[in-house]
Amino acid sequence: MTRRPHVVSGIAIGILIVLLFLLPVLYVLMMAFEAPSHFLNSPLTPGSPDVRNFSGAWNGADLGVELLNTIVYSVAASALSTILGLLIAFPISRRLLRGHSLVYTFCFVGLFLPFSVIPLFAEARILDLYNDRIGYIILHVEPGLPLAVVLLTAALSAVPHELDEAAWMEGAGYFSYLGRVVVPLIKPALLIAFLYGLLGVWNDIIGPVVLLANPSLFPVTRGIYNFFGSNESEWTLLAAGIVIASLPVVLLFAVSQRQINRATLVGGVKG
Amino acid sequence: MWAGLLIALAVYVLFGIVPMIANVVMSFTDYTALPGAAVHNIGFSNYSSMFGSQAPGFDQAIIATIVFVVAVTVGQNVLALVFAHRLTGGGRAAALGRVLVFLPIALGVTIVGLIWILIFNPQQGPMASLFGAFGVHSAFFGADNWAMPLVILVQIWQNAGFSTLVFLGGLRSINPSIYEAAAMDGIGRWQRLRRITFPLLAPSVTVNVLLALVGAFTTYNLIYVLTDGMYGTQTLGMLAFNAAFGSFEANLGYGAAVLVVLFLLTLVVALPMMALLRYRERRLFG
Repeated sequence: MTRRPHVVSGIAIGILIVLLFLLPVLYVLMMAFEAPSHFLNSPLTPGSPDVRNFSGAWNGADLGVELLNTIVYSVAASALSTILGLLIAFPISRRLLRGHSLVYTFCFVGLFLPFSVIPLFAEARILDLYNDRIGYIILHVEPGLPLAVVLLTAALSAVPHELDEAAWMEGAGYFSYLGRVVVPLIKPALLIAFLYGLLGVWNDIIGPVVLLANPSLFPVTRGIYNFFGSNESEWTLLAAGIVIASLPVVLLFAVSQRQINRATLVGGVKG
Repeated sequence: MWAGLLIALAVYVLFGIVPMIANVVMSFTDYTALPGAAVHNIGFSNYSSMFGSQAPGFDQAIIATIVFVVAVTVGQNVLALVFAHRLTGGGRAAALGRVLVFLPIALGVTIVGLIWILIFNPQQGPMASLFGAFGVHSAFFGADNWAMPLVILVQIWQNAGFSTLVFLGGLRSINPSIYEAAAMDGIGRWQRLRRITFPLLAPSVTVNVLLALVGAFTTYNLIYVLTDGMYGTQTLGMLAFNAAFGSFEANLGYGAAVLVVLFLLTLVVALPMMALLRYRERRLFG
């Protein structure tokens, strides 16, 4: 009997979570499969499924190109920031340089730096990185870097130093040692740093607005945002666009769900 | 080794540190990024004009920022604490709950913003029907008295999952033998929660409060998607963006100055808050 209030409040929170987090997503999913005429008359109930919204959104918003852009930008930028993070973290964790803790602090501060989009816009203009695929990637490497350094330094401290000495006695080069010995040992931390970087690029909507001008270069976030602006009131079409645009990242996170669970427990991410 | 280290640090300096410094420098100029336009050192003009009548948005932006930050920091942490407390279990339901509260993080700011625009769309949206049944009709994200509360709710919805996971980590690190000892002493559930669980969560509280605080101060992606800073939702971050890139202005110098004020305001609030939370941790852990 004493367990009863516990169970009741547990169920209440469960219902709250379903209402708050599942229902809105399911509703948009339902909308995406509605025929516009049916939705107009009864927006709250599902009708017979209609997939025309998807083809309409796919063609209307040019989602194919934009999804490809998103994948290229986010994967390339976060892979680069993870690799560069490792190149900073390893010498720090092995104390290979004087002032290693100073370098660490220098990078740690970066966690709290805002994404200064105004000077970055000026810098992009000056360095000829504006409205350019490669430039867009380069501009998005830095935001993920500080967290990569912090995470990887922590992970590297668990890799025994004896391995370094053994490898160097055999004359392995620095980069091949990193790639063949160190990387496999800290895979979970690398994946976490990579996913954080990816999320940063994916979340950025101001960046695509400020740093890109040519529609063929837009990532899907800006594409779908513009699609909203140009198709006002075509709700079912917009819902289908949202579903398509969110598929790649939802799939990615579904695949790496276990690691994320562990990842987020570390705490510390740049908004 | 040195080559790798130097290249990596160069990227960090060039795209992290330099923009930070350039932002401060730009705030003392009338830079517009128009090709051929001369750039002048105008001293503190950008700063003094914030408080003048030429820029009426500034006072409102300060208020909007404070309302947004306080509501988000409190709301996000309370909700996350309740969720985390209920989602520690090893069962399927708890695992599903963890996935669900994390879903908005994966969906990302843009998708989350657009989902809520669909749900609160004033014509056919489910919320329009729901509130309409009670005789309440509103433009929601397009109404002065609705936009800010809704933007706050969506920001909390977007980020509660992250705070929940941090609290879950904190809860898992509490030694179960403490609870066993408490049970033997006959301590009730509420007392256990108040006297043991919450104090022992202090490190997670510190992390979560600071992250929510700094996140709320510096965010503008979500507000951009939801309202573009209209209907009373123009926070300092949004004001900076609109001053620099909005349709009527191209005043990058002024925008940079607003960002400097935002950064200083964040520090002025976050640093004492961090000191306070650390002090609380030390006191609780002796």
